[in-house]
Parts: sequence; C-alpha cells; structure tokens
Amino acid sequence: MRHRVVITGMGWVTPLGHDIETAWRHLLAGKSGVAPIRNFDARSFPTTFAAEVKDYRIPPDMITSEKHKNISRATYFVLDAARQAWMQAGLPEPESVSHKPLNPYEIGIYLGSGEGSLDFTAFTRTAIGNWSRESGNLNMVGWGRDALAAFDAQREIEQEPALPINHLSMEFNACGPALNCLTACAASTQALGEATEIIRRGDAKIMISGGTHSMIHPFGVTGFNRLTALSTLNDQPQRACRPFDATRSGFVIGEGAGVLILENLGHALGRQAPILAEVVGYGSSADAYRVTDQHPEGRGAVMAINEALKDAGLTPADIDYINAHGTGTKENDSTETHAIKVAFGEHAANVPISSIKSMMGHLIAAAGAVEAITCVLTIRDQIIPPTANYSVPDPDCDLDYVPNKPRAARVQAVMSNSFGFGGQNDTLIIKRYTP
Amino acid sequence: MRRVVITGTGAVSPLGLTAEASFDGFKSARCGVDTIRSFDASSFPCSVAGSVPAFKTTEFVPKSYRKSAKIMARDIELAVVAADNAVRDARLATRGILEASGGQPPDDTWHVPDPSRVGCNIGAGLICADLNELTEAMVRAANSDNTLSLAKWGKSDNPEESSGMDALAPLWLLKYLPNMLSCHVSIIHDTRGPSNTITCQQASAGLALSEACRTIERGQADIALVGGGESLVHPMGLMRWTLLNLLNRKSNGDPSKACRPYDKNCEGTVVSEGAGVLVIEELEHARRRGAHIYAEIKGLASCASGLPLGKADPFGEPLKQVALRAMADARVLPEDISLLMPPANALPHLDLSDAMGIHALFHCVPAITTPRGAIGDPGAASQALDLVFAAQMLDRQVLCPTLNSDQPLDSLPVVGHAADPYDLDNILILARALAGQHSAILLGRYREAR
Repeated sequence: MRHRVVITGMGWVTPLGHDIETAWRHLLAGKSGVAPIRNFDARSFPTTFAAEVKDYRIPPDMITSEKHKNISRATYFVLDAARQAWMQAGLPEPESVSHKPLNPYEIGIYLGSGEGSLDFTAFTRTAIGNWSRESGNLNMVGWGRDALAAFDAQREIEQEPALPINHLSMEFNACGPALNCLTACAASTQALGEATEIIRRGDAKIMISGGTHSMIHPFGVTGFNRLTALSTLNDQPQRACRPFDATRSGFVIGEGAGVLILENLGHALGRQAPILAEVVGYGSSADAYRVTDQHPEGRGAVMAINEALKDAGLTPADIDYINAHGTGTKENDSTETHAIKVAFGEHAANVPISSIKSMMGHLIAAAGAVEAITCVLTIRDQIIPPTANYSVPDPDCDLDYVPNKPRAARVQAVMSNSFGFGGQNDTLIIKRYTP
Repeated sequence: MRRVVITGTGAVSPLGLTAEASFDGFKSARCGVDTIRSFDASSFPCSVAGSVPAFKTTEFVPKSYRKSAKIMARDIELAVVAADNAVRDARLATRGILEASGGQPPDDTWHVPDPSRVGCNIGAGLICADLNELTEAMVRAANSDNTLSLAKWGKSDNPEESSGMDALAPLWLLKYLPNMLSCHVSIIHDTRGPSNTITCQQASAGLALSEACRTIERGQADIALVGGGESLVHPMGLMRWTLLNLLNRKSNGDPSKACRPYDKNCEGTVVSEGAGVLVIEELEHARRRGAHIYAEIKGLASCASGLPLGKADPFGEPLKQVALRAMADARVLPEDISLLMPPANALPHLDLSDAMGIHALFHCVPAITTPRGAIGDPGAASQALDLVFAAQMLDRQVLCPTLNSDQPLDSLPVVGHAADPYDLDNILILARALAGQHSAILLGRYREAR
C-alpha cells in the first residue's frame, strides 16, 4: 500500500516578495520582478537585467547563528523559505530540538539546489595574476601558492550543492533521508516528485522539499549569454520575458527559493495539521536526444506528462490548469505547446495554461518549487495567475495562455511542468485535498 | 514484489580503465595513489592523488557522437567511459553499442532494450572549470591590478576585438552542469526512462542506486544505469580540500602510503578521481534474457547526521541508524553480514566515529574492507566504485584487502590480505558525505529463492 502525501506548509523567497502572500498578490496583479542587475556590474553584458531577490534582509538570528554564518545567498533563501513552511505546517519551533512527538529519522529533506557562486575576487585575481603570456598557460606553482592564501575554506565548501540540505538538517534536526538533485531547470520539480515517493513508500513521515538557486553572478550570466538563451531586451526589462508570444526572445534569469512541507496524510491528520493540497502524480523522463536542444516533438515531455497522469489516475479532462515550464525561449514554448497537444489531445484547447516566469523570471533549479507553490495557491483561491507580456499570437503556440489578466476558475487538479537542459523532464500533479 | 539485481559493472579508477582491471588492482593490493602529474601541484602541502591512467574519450563513444566529447568536463568523460564499460558488460545493445557494431547486436547473447524502460541516475560533484580556458578569456579584460574588469568582460573597448566573454565557447556552461554526466550517457545509450543527478558528495552513488532501484520496484523501468563520477584531481579541488585540512601533508615522498583508512597512523585522506556505473535490472527481465547476475540489491537506506560539515557524531549514531535501516529493509540480521565496506573517509575523527558505530551495531564485527587506501577519495565516484567492487567480490566469492590499515583503529577486523575463495553472502556498503548525508546499500549473493 502506498501512503497518500499532502502539503501542509509552504514558504518562498522570490523576486516578487519574501513571503507567500506578498509574492502571490504580485503574481495575480501581473507585476514584474525584473530590473537592472544589482548583484554585480553587468553593464557590459549582452543582458543587463534579471529577476533578483530585492531588498532582502537575512533573518538576523541566522547571521549570528554558529550553524549558519557566512553561508551562500541561496542557502539563506532556502533556510528562510523552510522556516516559513515549517511554521505554516504548525510544526514545533526548531529550537525545541527534540520536537516530540516527531522522530528526527522520520523527517527527511529533498532539495533541487544549485551550486553556489565562485569567490569572484579571489578567483579572478589568482588566475589573471598567474597567467603566463609566453606559455599561454597558468603558472600552477604561483597559482597554488596564491590560491591557498586568497580563498576561504568555508566560502569554498558552501558552494557544494549538498550544503543547503546540510543546513536544513541542522536547523530542523531532520535526520531522515537527505538528498539533493541537480537536474538544471527541472531540479526542484524532480525533488518534490522523489520526496513524494519517499513518503509514499513509508521511508519518512515528513519531507522538507523544494529548491534554491542563484546564478545571477558574472559567470552564471556569462554562461547563459554565451548559449544565447537569455533575452537581451535591455531597454524594456519588465517586458523581456514573453512566454508563448510570437516576439519572445529568451528567458530572464531569476533567483530565489521555494520550500514545501510534504507529509504522510495519516501523520498530518493525526496532528491536526492544515492540509493545503495533495500531491497525486509524478512523472519523469529523459529526452535522450541532444545536450543543447529539446526533442522537436517533445518526446520526453509527453512521456513525463503521461506518466504523471497515469500515476495520479487522472485523465487530461481532469486537469483544470497547467503551470507551464514556459521559459520564453523560441524552442521551449513551441515544443511544450506541442507536447501538451499530443498528451492532452482534444482537451488541450480547453485547459488554461500560464507561465509565471513572465513575472518571476526563471529561478533555474528553484523554478519548479515556486511553481508548485503557485499551483497550490491557485487551488486555494480558485484563481489562475496570468502569462504577462503576451500580445502577439504565435501560430506554433495556439492554446489558452491566460494572457495578461488573472482568471477566476474552478480549479481542482493542476499540472506543473519542468524541463531541464540536457533533456530532463518532470511533471507534477497537485489536487485539492478531499478525504 | 519486483526484485532488482546487478547485471553489469563498469569503472574507471586510478587502478584501471575497466571494472575488471580496477578489481584486479584492488584484489592484488596495488596502489593507485601517486604524485600528481596532470598539473604542477608542488606548491600544495599534499601533492599526491589517485589519478586515472591516460585514456581517449572518443574511443568510448559512437562515431556520430565524437564531436560532443569537446563539451565534456573530465567528470563527464569518466562517467561516459564507465557507462560504456557497464553496458557492454551487461550485454545491452543500446543505441551506442549498435552504432559501433554496424547496426546489429554483436551476437545473439546481446539484448536490445526498450529505451523507454531504461533509466539513468548518475551522481555528480561540483564540477571544476578548466582554469586555463577561463583565464585565457579573462586576461583579455584584466585591470592593471590583475582583477577582472567587468566593464570590459562583456564588451571590448576596441570594436575590432571580441570581448573576454566571447572568447569562451558558446556551449561553455554545458561542460559544467552536474546533470551532464547522466545526460550524455542517456543520449549515447538512448535511455529515456527516469533520469536524475544526485549531488551528495561521497553518498551520491548509493543514493542514486537506491532511487533507481525503487523506480524499478514500482514498475516504472526495467533497467537503470546508476553510479557516480567525479574528478577532484584539479587545482580547484585540491585547493578546497587543502583549505579544509582534509589531506595528508606528510606522505608526499611515499604516495602509496598516504591514504590510511581505519589506521592508527591516519593523517588525512588524498583526492582522487574516477567513475563507477552499474547496470541494475528487474530479476525476471534479467533471467528472461539470460543475463549474468552479479548480486541482488536487498536493502537500501539513507539518513542525515544533522551536524555541521565534516563533524562526526562521537558515538557513530547516524552510521548505526542507516545500517540498521538497510538491514531491516533487507530483513537481514547483523550476524548475516559477511563483509562490511564502511565509509572510510580516512580522516581520524570520522574513522573513529565509524568504529564506535560499528562496535555498537555488531556483537561480533564482520570482516571490513575498503578500496580507499588504494584509490583515495573520488567524491561522488567513491561509493560507486565500492558498489562495483562489492558486486565483483560477491560474484567471484573473493575477499579483497585494505591497503595501509597496518594498525587497525579500535581493533576493527580490517582485511589485510586477499582471500580466494571466500564465502560471501551479504555485503553492507556504507557511505558518508562530508556534508552529513549517509547512504547504506545491502547487496546479497544472488539465489533463486529469497
């Protein structure tokens, strides 16, 4: 028998706000979180804007805590998001470490967190300072000597993608299954799906799950600019991300974290926890096609969608809303549209689809987590957030994208898609909880 | 319930370029740790490492995919080579194998798998950027004080010249995404089932195997390629591990003695590199196609220490808990374990914590072995190689020795000499990431009735 899995708490730190209600209000208002980059001087870059987490104040007790001082920006985001989720779920204060009647080994963690950013000054200085123009190579003896003096041990280790889960396990005394996956833009959807499987199987009662990432640093933006994946509409940043629009020209990079408390239904009922929704379906696949492109027919995406439907025991007609991957790149949006048509058949035309990346930007590894939270809020408030910046229809994208204005609707079951570079596809289905 | 078995092993390690060569090295007590030669490491206090012998990635990928080898960081290359080894060993005529053999399976003992029923789950680390490539681009936009000028990095002052950023290959970023180990392998071998990349340092491969094993048990796949790959033999990797005080600084003159797991004279570990990939398969599927069965996957568990990076529980509690859970999952008692392959981080305080946990677990501690003394610590590849070796030992009924545990800590029964033949029933393989994640896998000798 597999256990049912419900969502009992949520939290996020995003470009549109640092708590659930603020950012949700902004999403429904069609507000943009995109602005010129402040994390570093990006004025010479092909893209000079991003969706940054703005005016963020790290909770003061975290800065002074022995456990969490000097950690990465993304790890602070995820600790904060997890605290919000933990509180909403009505779980005991993290400080009361024994947190009776919870068994630490039944509380697990599964995040899709990205790597931290390089120590820019130490990295560039030691490298440039030891470059030998004659040999066209680094002088490694000099580099080693300088690097050992310039880099900081903790700063370096905090870049490891396993560190955010390490900090969460300390914060919440969570000693159950602990994993991090990093499947590019699909990571936190995959984390939520696999965390669900862990509870279904009975290996944990509670999973702290979601993701965090910030690639808004010089080499992160460099990497995506070289791939020509980012929009370069520098004179109108807030209009730059246009999912499904004929004039779309790339995605907008964002940063942030989203965390959900997933819980065994019986356990949640037993402690009278608030039940926000149920995770009912998860599908995962690989394109096995190309490192750079999605399969043109969305082969893997179709498989992930179908697997998720099968897992949930639902049909396309049961899905009331699709939260799209919808990055705003030429390729993704037409491929995703095609995949939805293949998987949904005649129902494709009837299901509202929207991309919050039009306002939130693309949070890379954390994107799936904030999108899953959005799905739960859609069910809670019976209203669908819009796809902003939509004006010119594209013949390749001819479905209902909820353009520019939120829409009140009856929403019982929602689907969230995430597709990663390299061909990883993950789909989640979240449903209103009914006993 | 669907049972899952191991039907193929693949490895690249400091001991050799195949699982077989690596295993022979382990069995004959060879050491793969030596002075670092891939770059001049003489300014580092520890300048020895476990390095993989020279190889050409293009020889391990189908012709049509050779161009893609250019966008593979070393970690990816290692995984691709180990996957080729594993798939051939399991006699799976995947897309890559078919192309190399002219469209037909090499002979009728090979099986052509259904791509949608094959998953791929390969653990990875924090992949280090190629310093020469990046620095060559950065010097084009340098300030006089050797910092990088962001004002010049994106756009050159001179319109005739390309900028620093433009000197990087367009696909530069894709070399360093951790999921590219699984992605390249999935493309080469056309595996379209559930695919993931676990990034939990030394515990990655066991966690990857566990997750993929569950997808097979649930019926979402019949076969999966699982394991892990990483190269820490890189200036950035060596710098990080040096700053964290993890490395033995006293054995540069005697590299083969440097890594001393569970030894009273342990002074720290050494960095390494490699990859291990196993083919795991649903039992009936394996039997129907007449596959060779190395071992059965009987128990899985994972947990976290809840402790800061690199810290150990003085009583070895997390290790004990994860081991107990794996044994319960397998319905096996401590006395049924014939061999223990513990984490062997080769750091005095972690090894001591392990010893406490092990003594608490067993009335009579079973034989203990680890390849760490022979290869060092290859991060995300470490438990992958342990699993490959465990599968080989079960299959051949051979016990391989631990190198450099001359005076075992806390009287642990660490195996000093190979034993062939040796009765092996169940092997418990444990791993600990420095960041606190633990993984336990219980492999058993395959028997028809369970």
